[in-house]
Amino acid sequence: MRRTLLLAAVIVTSLLLQTTVFADLRLLGARPELLYLVTIVFAFLDGPSAGAVTGFASGMAEDFLLDQPKGITALTLTLLGYVVGLLRQYVVSPSPLFPVGLVAGGTFAGVLFYGVVSFLLGQLAVSVPYLVRVAALSAVYNAILTPLLFPVLRRAVEASRAQKVVRW
Amino acid sequence: MALPSRTRSARLLVLMLVSASLVTITVDYRQGPHGPLAAAGDAALAAISPLQDAVSKVTKPIGNYVSTLVRLPSIRAENEALRARVAELEAQVATSADLAARVSQLEALLGLREELGALRTVGAQVIANSVSNLEWTITIDKGSSDGVGVDMPVIAPAGLVGHVVRVAPDSAIVRLIIDPDSAVAARLDVSRATGLLEGQGQRDLRMRLVDPATEVQPGERVVTAGYRIPGVGGGLYPPGILIGSVSHVLAGEAELEKFVTVRPAVDFSALDMVLVVLSDGSG
Repeated sequence: MRRTLLLAAVIVTSLLLQTTVFADLRLLGARPELLYLVTIVFAFLDGPSAGAVTGFASGMAEDFLLDQPKGITALTLTLLGYVVGLLRQYVVSPSPLFPVGLVAGGTFAGVLFYGVVSFLLGQLAVSVPYLVRVAALSAVYNAILTPLLFPVLRRAVEASRAQKVVRW
Repeated sequence: MALPSRTRSARLLVLMLVSASLVTITVDYRQGPHGPLAAAGDAALAAISPLQDAVSKVTKPIGNYVSTLVRLPSIRAENEALRARVAELEAQVATSADLAARVSQLEALLGLREELGALRTVGAQVIANSVSNLEWTITIDKGSSDGVGVDMPVIAPAGLVGHVVRVAPDSAIVRLIIDPDSAVAARLDVSRATGLLEGQGQRDLRMRLVDPATEVQPGERVVTAGYRIPGVGGGLYPPGILIGSVSHVLAGEAELEKFVTVRPAVDFSALDMVLVVLSDGSG
């Protein structure tokens, strides 16, 4: 229950920040994809199942605010969370830059995947070069924000974990 | 043995979530804007818009300050250009008073003034932007309880903004004319030639279906034509609303039509207050 509430709070906060604060703070015209960042960080910290659930919930929340067929972002972020969670199990790096690279690569791939699914449904209204540009800029923006948001999200994830009961 | 079991359950979970996403996409795609998922979307909009309004009121001044700092060099150049333009226009005002009086008489004669004056509008504050980088919409703080409905045109003091695509009781989503899904019937102010103006995101609007024989000059104003083009969607915009000015004339792309790019009159990155046209006064 605690974890569900926390996830809901993180998602709503991210949506609010993305549609208000970051609407004015653009990087060469692009905004960060905060829900992609949240999904990747949760998957990185808690594994593929948590990544998939976070991605699905975040994606659905975003889909219901878009004027596109609902479910495309949910599909994208579910798969992104699962893949990043799996990747984390097989790639172990002590480098503090690893999460930054993971967020950048994951965001880039996720936005492109979203574009491909939208294209297949006949919903992609922008050109391919523009999609690639937006994916790259979002990835860079998310990478810049990762060092700021990663500690906050890690504390949130740790606080939501069930407390261990030590029996003597 | 425990790890494979966890892996299996993770795979099962992902399979379920992916299936749920695909079912959602299919149901929403088939039912369109009148299905239960669209209603759930409107409910989500109604739930989040008061929060967006509150956050926007707190953070807008900070965001404006930061974006002003970022745009300081261009603002300075713009300021100098505007000062020069003001001086030029002040000189013109003295000579054009007689002309203005004549234009005023003609407007009254044609009934245009009555028509524009009959527009019922409601003022609205922009409280949020689209959550996606691939969609150009804004959320306003007026909805169905204020008489706002789908397809109603939205204008700003500088010109045409877009039209309403989704409505909740106290908020609405407006698709901007720069959205690639937007199409507006437009008219060149001098040549009177008409065409279809399509959004291209952050790039200038693209006007097509213009007669190739039309003489178009950069800087020429483009206004709404005031009629609906069948099959391309979009609301019925009142005629004569400024959309922007011609930035480039693209020659040689096709022999049957001329392509023109149009710079919007509205600065969509700094939209704050808009007017929703509730009716054209005819009904």
